[in-house]
Amino acid sequence: MEIILTIALLVGGTVAGLLWRKGSFLRAIRRDKARVQLEDALKHIYDCEYNRLACTLESVAGTLALTPDKASEVIARLNALQLVTHDGRELRLTEKGRDDALRVIRIHRLWERYLADETAVREQDWHSDADKKEHLLTPQEAGELAKRLGHPPFDPHGDPIPTEEGVIPAQRGKPLLDFHAGETLKVTHVEDEPEAVFALLVREKIFPDVVAKVAANSRKGLELETEGRMIFLSAIAAANVRAVAFEQPDIAPEASKTLLSLRLGESGRVIGISHTCRGVQRRRLMDLGIVPGTEVTAELQSVSGDPVGYNIRGATIALRRQQAEMVFIE
Amino acid sequence: MSPRHEEILHTADMLRWELGEQFHDRTVEALYGDAAQIAKKAVIMPGKKTRLNFERTLDHLVTNRWTGFPLMFLLLAIVFWITIEGANVPSALLADVFLDSLYPMLKSFGENIGLPWWLNGLLFDGMYLAMAWVVSVMLPPMAIFFPLFTLAEDFGYLPRVAFNLDSMFRKSGAHGKQALTMAMGYGCNAAAIISTRIIDSPRERLIAILTNNFAICNGRWPTQILIATIFVGALAPAHLSGLVSSLAVVTVVLIGIFFTFLVSWGLSKTLLKGEASFFSLELPPYRPPRIWQTLYTSVIDRTLIVLWRAVVWALPAGAVIWLVSNIHIGGVSLAEHAVNAFDPFGILIGLNGVILLAYIIAIPANEIVIPTVLMLTVLVTKVAGVGSGAGVMFELDSELATAEVLRTGGWTLLTGVNLMLFSLLHNPCSTTLYTIYKETGSAKWTTLSAVIPLGIAFVVCFVVAVVFSAIGLT
Repeated sequence: MEIILTIALLVGGTVAGLLWRKGSFLRAIRRDKARVQLEDALKHIYDCEYNRLACTLESVAGTLALTPDKASEVIARLNALQLVTHDGRELRLTEKGRDDALRVIRIHRLWERYLADETAVREQDWHSDADKKEHLLTPQEAGELAKRLGHPPFDPHGDPIPTEEGVIPAQRGKPLLDFHAGETLKVTHVEDEPEAVFALLVREKIFPDVVAKVAANSRKGLELETEGRMIFLSAIAAANVRAVAFEQPDIAPEASKTLLSLRLGESGRVIGISHTCRGVQRRRLMDLGIVPGTEVTAELQSVSGDPVGYNIRGATIALRRQQAEMVFIE
Repeated sequence: MSPRHEEILHTADMLRWELGEQFHDRTVEALYGDAAQIAKKAVIMPGKKTRLNFERTLDHLVTNRWTGFPLMFLLLAIVFWITIEGANVPSALLADVFLDSLYPMLKSFGENIGLPWWLNGLLFDGMYLAMAWVVSVMLPPMAIFFPLFTLAEDFGYLPRVAFNLDSMFRKSGAHGKQALTMAMGYGCNAAAIISTRIIDSPRERLIAILTNNFAICNGRWPTQILIATIFVGALAPAHLSGLVSSLAVVTVVLIGIFFTFLVSWGLSKTLLKGEASFFSLELPPYRPPRIWQTLYTSVIDRTLIVLWRAVVWALPAGAVIWLVSNIHIGGVSLAEHAVNAFDPFGILIGLNGVILLAYIIAIPANEIVIPTVLMLTVLVTKVAGVGSGAGVMFELDSELATAEVLRTGGWTLLTGVNLMLFSLLHNPCSTTLYTIYKETGSAKWTTLSAVIPLGIAFVVCFVVAVVFSAIGLT
């Protein structure tokens, strides 16, 4: 009898599982592996052009993890479809090829933006998730997603998101290593590959819009001061970050007073929310009225001391420690 | 489009990137700045510079290390006491009307207009009785508990409870407001699921929904107390048995709280890892509760909606309960076939086939589980002189008589203990499941909210059964 019950449970479970995964399940079957390869190759060639690097058969094979034979097959098909031309060694996109590449890139970056803003998926998983999604969404679905996200101009790594018509601006900023000690900069781009380096940058909380002062720049690497923290980046890590010079940061690099430093009854004026606080978390704090100039008073402590109730614009709002340390005050 | 238009659109496109990502932040700042300016010019705030004195004192008492928690437990105890004591009278009254007066009248009315016996049984013994039972047991406690709860919320006390308990919930990845939805769950899980709307962060809200079941609702309290008295209380000397059985029930509640935290923690680390999460909790100023409005909303929004859903589910379940007891295959009723089939698995996990069948067919409401168990036990064991016939749920007036029937059905201490655990941990009733589906709009989360507790219940009961046989207790 147990056997029958077990079988019933197993069958029921499988059916339920299939039903609720139906969406991605069926799409996965429909997914055309060949098309994915073509789109990935286009994307790679586009990346080369954007970064002004030469793109060759070998680099395509390397990026897509294909044998040279297989890679040249892919390129021959792209050529036949009039998406790619080649003059001997170097590969170039045709006008049509560039449009196709930008369409895929648009979906990729929009999806990363979505993951960053509306989910709690880890930073390191954005890229691989978007790599799958970029082949699945139709341009219409991408359009709806863009609308829902408020037509974001950049992805969470600081890369511009192409418009529906395939317009994209030139690259911003210069490599982090080109900045000298004493200069203040604003991060504009954090490269998400290779993953190990990106994970390190995430751990050090280097994100676009983070403002930092270069404390030292030597051959070993770069020392940065931001929002009261000192960060050391090896030359390899720093090479994956771009930035622009920036003169008037809202939160000074040496700022250190946050809401946490308020004792009960004390007040402070907000100068800004840490730029490492992003997505929903950041929006939520701003919606509560935590913007530069707001006067905040620590008012009430819970039994365990965390959270603390703050008076913000006349309302008492409880904030957890981890949120309070994101809000810088004068 | 003329070339001029295209040029403008193109320029606009390019400007979006120049504005950059912080454009949104700047807009919000500017809006707040302007709003503050306008308010400063147009709004006069007479007097009230700081918060009222009494508010400060009260807040100090409520959030103080030494008085905060004792005050909370005291208030909780008072609310429960009023609910349980206060519900007895209307419950007895409703049972009197629905079960003792109306039910026989309906039965004889059916006979008089010449309904065939089976239709009479199906309609009145099955459907009507299940519905009447649910209404008379469920309505009074809900009608008392919910208004009290809403009054405390309206007064501003409950947000302070969430504020105080947040650090505990934070450690398991949940939100302090889950304390409130849990407390609500002690009244009714279905209503508690609706109340998770107060948690606006998606991940924490799902955690609160998926673990609410571990707070025993008022349909399960009587079961816990009855079984604790019969099986656990009986172990102790007579003058201590009341205390021992209360301790057993408290232990079950604590086990429920333990599983709430454990499962919350597990969910936030696994299934719900990718759901967006943020914390926000407003502590509104204290204010005199609006009594009439509170009564209206808690009766209409909470009590009646939940009751209606329970009734909708009780009708077909009552029909099923009656049918399985009265349809015979090969001279044996469907119910007996099912009980025999479930028995091996039931006994393996320290329960029995009757209990498993009862939990399946009495899924609309936990209130009718014990009546169904009694009816099925009598049906299977063929005890004479007890109950009202196949498919007719009943309860006995004395605990002794109930114990007698259960022991005849082969119940031991292990069965009693495991029934208490199973009642605590098993899947939510169909009313609650339906509410979860309505609230989440997702078949996935609804399925999980049934499968996770049921799996835990099976495992825990099995482990307890193994431990019992290992130490030689039966």
